[in-house]
Parts: sequence; C-alpha cells; structure tokens
Amino acid sequence: MDVELAKPFIKAAIDVLSTMAFIKPEVGKPYIKKNTVAAGDVSGMVGITGDRNGSVSISFTKGCAVAIVKNMLGDEIEDIMTDVKDAVGELTNMISGQARAGLAERGLVFQGSTPTVVMGDGHTISHMTKAPIMAIPFTTSDGSFTIEFCFE
Amino acid sequence: MATLDDFRNKEFLDQITILNEISGSKNPEALPKLVELLKKPVGDTSIDYMVVNALNAVLSGNEEKVIEGLTDEHDGYRILCIRVAGEHGFKAATGSLVKVAQTEFDPDRLMEILTSLARIADTAALPIFRKHLEHNDPFIKSACIEALGKLKDETSIEHLKVMIEDSDSPERFEVCDITTWKAVEAMASFSRDDTIGFLVEKLHHTNPTVRRIITDALITIGAPSINMLFNAFESGDADSKILSANILGFVGDRSGADGLVAAFDKGLADDSNVRYAVYEALGRIGTMKGIICLVDGLSETDELILMAVIGGLEKHVNPGMISTLTKVISNDDDQSDRLSKAVVSSRAINIFDALYEVDGAGDVLMDALLQSNDPEVIEQFRALLIDIGGSRAEEDLDRLPEIATSLSKALAADDSRSMCAMHRAILTDLGFKPFMATNGEEAYEFIEQGEEFDVIITDMNMPVMDGMELVGKVRNTPGYEDVPIIMVTTESEASQQEMARKAGVTAFVTKPFNPDTLKAKIEEVTR
Repeated sequence: MDVELAKPFIKAAIDVLSTMAFIKPEVGKPYIKKNTVAAGDVSGMVGITGDRNGSVSISFTKGCAVAIVKNMLGDEIEDIMTDVKDAVGELTNMISGQARAGLAERGLVFQGSTPTVVMGDGHTISHMTKAPIMAIPFTTSDGSFTIEFCFE
Repeated sequence: MATLDDFRNKEFLDQITILNEISGSKNPEALPKLVELLKKPVGDTSIDYMVVNALNAVLSGNEEKVIEGLTDEHDGYRILCIRVAGEHGFKAATGSLVKVAQTEFDPDRLMEILTSLARIADTAALPIFRKHLEHNDPFIKSACIEALGKLKDETSIEHLKVMIEDSDSPERFEVCDITTWKAVEAMASFSRDDTIGFLVEKLHHTNPTVRRIITDALITIGAPSINMLFNAFESGDADSKILSANILGFVGDRSGADGLVAAFDKGLADDSNVRYAVYEALGRIGTMKGIICLVDGLSETDELILMAVIGGLEKHVNPGMISTLTKVISNDDDQSDRLSKAVVSSRAINIFDALYEVDGAGDVLMDALLQSNDPEVIEQFRALLIDIGGSRAEEDLDRLPEIATSLSKALAADDSRSMCAMHRAILTDLGFKPFMATNGEEAYEFIEQGEEFDVIITDMNMPVMDGMELVGKVRNTPGYEDVPIIMVTTESEASQQEMARKAGVTAFVTKPFNPDTLKAKIEEVTR
C-alpha cells in the first residue's frame, strides 16, 4: 500500500519538473529515514487526508531550487528569494495535485492542503508521525532534492 | 437515457451532464462510445478526465469487458482496465493479469499490474510476485514483498530471511532500504514461531532504523511473540535481555510479566541494567506477581533502580504495597532516605498521597521534598498538598521553598522515564534548570528554539534520533562547538565510544552509575 501511494508522487515530480523547469531528475534508491526530520534549503510541504492521512515534503538544495527558478522564469527574476518561494510552492502544489489525480484513478481519493514553503539554509521540518518515513532521493545536474512521505 | 451520439459537437455543459449521468447509471451500452472517446480524446482536460471516470464506473460492473481490455492494444485503455480490475478486486482477472505481467518489461506498467494483482489478492498470483522479488526497481520489489506478506506465502519466508540478513552486511547496514522495511513487515505478518524467532534474533540488527522497525513489529505481533522473547531473555547476553524485557513491557501481556518474574527468581536479572529493564517492564504490565516483585525491589540500593521500582509501583498503588512502603519508609535508615528521595525525584504523586497521612512516612517524605532544588518537582507537590488540604498540608505548604529559576541551563535526553527523573534530580541538585527530552529530536528542538545550554547529557540509544546523531547535529550548530556533552552508555556500547568521541562527545559515564559519579563528571566538564 505504501509503495503504491509513493509511486504517483515520484512520477508527478518528474513530470512536473521536466515540463515546467526543464530539469530531468534521476531517481535514487528509496530508503527509510532514521529520524522524522526533513532537511534542505528550500522545502515545500503538503498535508494529505482521505483514505489515509499523512504528509509529503519536497526539500531542495539551494542550487537545485535556484536552477529551477531560472529555468522557469528565464531572465525575469526580480527577487530571487520571493521567486524561489513562489516557484517551490507552485511546483509542490502541481506535484501534489497530479499525484492525487493519479491516485484517484486507482480509486484512492485524497485531499491535499495548500502547500507551505519553508526556506533557510539547512533548515529542518518534522513529520508528525510514528510510522516509518520513506525518502526518495533525486539528483539533477544542479543539485539534489528529496521527496519524503509518511502515511499513518 | 443520455446518449453519446454526436458527443464531440455538443456544448461543454451538455457533455458534462451526459458523462455524469453515465457515471451514475453505469449503463453498459455506453461502453463502446466511451472507449472510442478515450482512445481519441476530446482534448479538453476536464472532459477527458470525466470520460475516464465514466469508463471506470461502467467497467466496474462488467468484469468480462475488463478482462478483454487487459490485452487491448491501446495503452491508456489497457492501463485503465488493469486499474479497474484491481480497484474492484476482479478475481477472474487474475489469470489474464499474470499472463500480461509475464511479458511486461516496462517497470511502470509492470508496477500497475502488480499493484492490481496485490489488491485482488488471489493466491494464483503468487508465482509472479515471487518472480519479481529481486527486481531492480525497489518499488516493484517492495510491492511484491508486501503482496507476499499479505497473502502469507510461506514459500517466500526463506527468501525474506535472506533479504533481512543481507541488509545487515557490512556494505549495506548503514541505510535502511524500503525493501528491508517491507521484508520485516511481511515477515511479521506470518506470526509463526520461526519467523518471530528470526525477528527476535535480528533485534540486534546493526542499523538502528531496522532495529526500531523490528521492535515495533514485535510489539504489534504482541502475545504470540512472548515465548520467543523469553528464549532470547534466557539465553542472550545482557543486551538481549534488556531489549526483550523492554518489548515484553510494551506488549503488556500478563504472561510476559509472569515470565519475567520467573526469570528474575532464577537469577537471570543479576546484572543491574537488566534488573532496571525488568522493573520498568513489570511496572508497565502491572500483574499481581509483577507488583510483588516490584515491592521486593524496594530493598534495592541503587538509586536509578529504585526509581524504576517506584515509577512502576506508582502506576498500581494498592493497600498492601502501601503498608509495606510505610514500614520501610518509616524505618529512618539509609534505605528510607533513598526511597523517599526516589518518590520525590520520580514525582510519584499517588504514592506520596497515600503515604502522606501515615505517621512517620509523611514526615520522611516531606523531608525529602524539602531537599529538592527542582522548581517543577516542588510545584507539582505543592499542587498535590493543596489538593490534600487540611491543617497539616497547609503547614507543610508554608515550609515549601520558593526556588528561583537558576541561570545555568542543562539539557538531558533519555528515552527511559526513570533515567530522565534521575537526570532531572541530579541537575537541579547542581543548580541547573533542567530541560528534558525523550529522544534526540526533542532535545534538538530546544536548541533550534534558541535555548542556550551549559551542559548536555544524552543517552546513546534512543528512538527517533539517537545520541550519536544528536551530538553530530549539536556540534554543527553555531555556538555549540564547545558546549560539554556527556554521553551515558552501557558497558556493551563501549565499542561505539570511539565513534561517539569523534562525533564530539566530551565525556562518558557508564551505566549503571551512582548519581555522585555523574555529578562529579558534570562539575568536571562545566568547570
């Protein structure tokens, strides 16, 4: 069940990033996290409710986040901080939406919260759960990012 | 009936109404035209999406058509049929799905088929799950492990064992793969003696995450795991005994307590760390035999162990226990001092309440309370005395000191309640304001919130975030490069001390220790 839930998010992340930001992420080996903390420089998070409850986060390194914004906005970057925040929020929203649509086609109906973006070098976010957290690492030519899931 | 004739030329709103109606009526006559709409989409995202929904609805009552569609040349329709078969658990589709899976090499499509087969949960699909147990794609592999566990496929047990064994090899143990997680969960679903025995044996897995997953799995299995845990307790080393006792405590089954008491009587808990774990477990379970054993534990002299005993008894206060406690506490000797101190430090409110009105015992407890420097402890007992009321309580309330919050702060992290109580008592004795955490993550949160500490005390093994990781994170936090960190370890963890020292631990204290040892160490490093 857990694996079945994770797959559409991965597919959505790859789809969204390659269409919107022209970045082709390579999927690494998924693992179970030692702790409940997501670490990165810029993170987008959504809460998921429905058949099961949980949260999903996508944490980007600075380099990767900036590359995404540059690819999305070209030379029109005004304020890099605001643009990064907007872009990551938007991407998280799209990934969450597309993944949930994919799950709905399998008869699994979920609602997603509006995304929250957290910025700050090396910040951490805690998933409030007792269940193991699955992390899927991605690499791109501009840095890495990680998607994390936990479902009760 | 809504008709799909000339659908493409209809108004948007009409199109929506028609598709909605079909989704509701599930009229099979609409099928051919819907399939055609799927294969040649209208081009409007919302309409196309609704076509999929309507098709799903119509197909949900049409098993034959779904099975036919499993081999359709059109990718989208084929996937839709695969999903519908899974969603509605069409057992008749198993054979065809297995056949399709045999020749499917695209990982995404294979995953779709396997997911549907897992949902249908027909044993006829076992061979295909077994076949892909070593698939390169970790998600496919995990889905197969999950399905084999769900179907309780005993043939795969050996394979699962090998997977868990392999995950403990020197080149792999650092990461807990999702496949390892799934293999442990699948293994736990069998609830056979050999599978449970295997998991108990693997409680020592080198990777702390895997250890935690196995512990949780055994707690979930519950009573059936008790015998195996006893075997480990009886034949294993001190570490095995501690781990098994902890799990037995969390399982909370009566027979667990009885067995622990028996083991205790056989002299299997002579090691003080083991005894401590046994008392904590007995306190959690709380059977008559267990409580009697805890009452016997009142003669322990080690302060830490006494706190485990008192902490355990606190949850199950009864008249017999109180009469014994009254006797030993009123004795006015070293042991009564230790006990009253343990009652205060572990904040055993119920015991205090029961003994307060008893001549002799109440005075000894009040003396111990008046010696405490911990503002939180004082506050808690103050509230209790107000509750008790009466002239005596009022007099005692007046005697309670107002403790000014001290300026030096200390952080202590330990997952054992008694250890936390002990750290708290030691730190307040030394004039620190204590901040307590039950794991590394909670501890680090205090630091993230900007608290500044003069000393940090941490356990090595804790759930969620262990001591080693906490130390690493603390040392990487600006301003925390030189704050003294004391790590509390057991003898058996000595081998990991070198690693901990490299991570930034200032000093070590080996369990069991008496409070003075830790006090001296704290004074030494904060000087």
